[in-house]
Amino acid sequence: MRRLNLETNEGNIGFQIAPMIDVVFVIMLFFMVMAGAVKVERELNTQLPGSAESSTSTDFVDEQIITVSENGEVLLNDEPFDSPTSHDLPQLKGTLMRLKQNADAAKSPTMVTIVSDENAKYSRTIDVLDALAVAKIDNVTFTVSDQD
Amino acid sequence: MAGGGGGGDGEPEFQVAPMIDVLLTILIFFMTITSAQVLKVDKSITLPIAPDAQKKDDKRAETVVNVRWKAAIKKAEFVLDEKVYPKADEMIPGLKLAKANGEKKVTVGANPNFRAIIRGDREAPALSISQAMNACAEAGIADISFSAVNKD
Repeated sequence: MRRLNLETNEGNIGFQIAPMIDVVFVIMLFFMVMAGAVKVERELNTQLPGSAESSTSTDFVDEQIITVSENGEVLLNDEPFDSPTSHDLPQLKGTLMRLKQNADAAKSPTMVTIVSDENAKYSRTIDVLDALAVAKIDNVTFTVSDQD
Repeated sequence: MAGGGGGGDGEPEFQVAPMIDVLLTILIFFMTITSAQVLKVDKSITLPIAPDAQKKDDKRAETVVNVRWKAAIKKAEFVLDEKVYPKADEMIPGLKLAKANGEKKVTVGANPNFRAIIRGDREAPALSISQAMNACAEAGIADISFSAVNKD
């Protein structure tokens, strides 16, 4: 039992601050790097078309149709925009923004239907939805062509 | 020339205690923002990129439909509440149940409707996403959101 006393009598082992700061710095650096690289989930909203009450009058608005072909080509009212490999779709974005401004000036809603080829990649549809989000067009419907 | 009024007697010492306070505060800040933004999605799904999409609203009652894409067999798989369905139509009873349960919850925000979030693989064909949307429509869910990430 006396052997224990020999070991514990050696000075006062205090709390070491330097290694603690080292560790805290390393952990902080890790979280700082992680904060920059973290992916954030975003959402693109759409509303499925529903039934309208027959007793009320319905205003028909001009519908813009965006077609997405299998090879990634994007057509707005049958007119091609941007290259099939472009993810940013700058031409489409510009046209949609002008369209939205004109519709707002005329106080009419902008309605867009995306008609995607059934074999077109989903990411291409998201590119188009992203362009619509930039133009602040939220009246969007999504459908697939040649569906049974 | 002996300017500077502050230094009284003795040299100013480096104070460790306030430094630790500041360090821990910064550490907690970074820990909080990192853990709050961790993406909880199906690891087999590569979400498409939409840098201009709006931030996800977590306050609403919702259900998540995952659309996996099996490139080797060129087939889509639908996942609802960790159950795998080979066809989207088979999800309809599950979606109806999720809607009934979700609508009981009080939702805060401008749009209190129950919604479905479709998390589709970027390589999946548009047809499979459309099938998932049709299943939602059959279950009476008209509010659909597509999930994406801000960067690759």
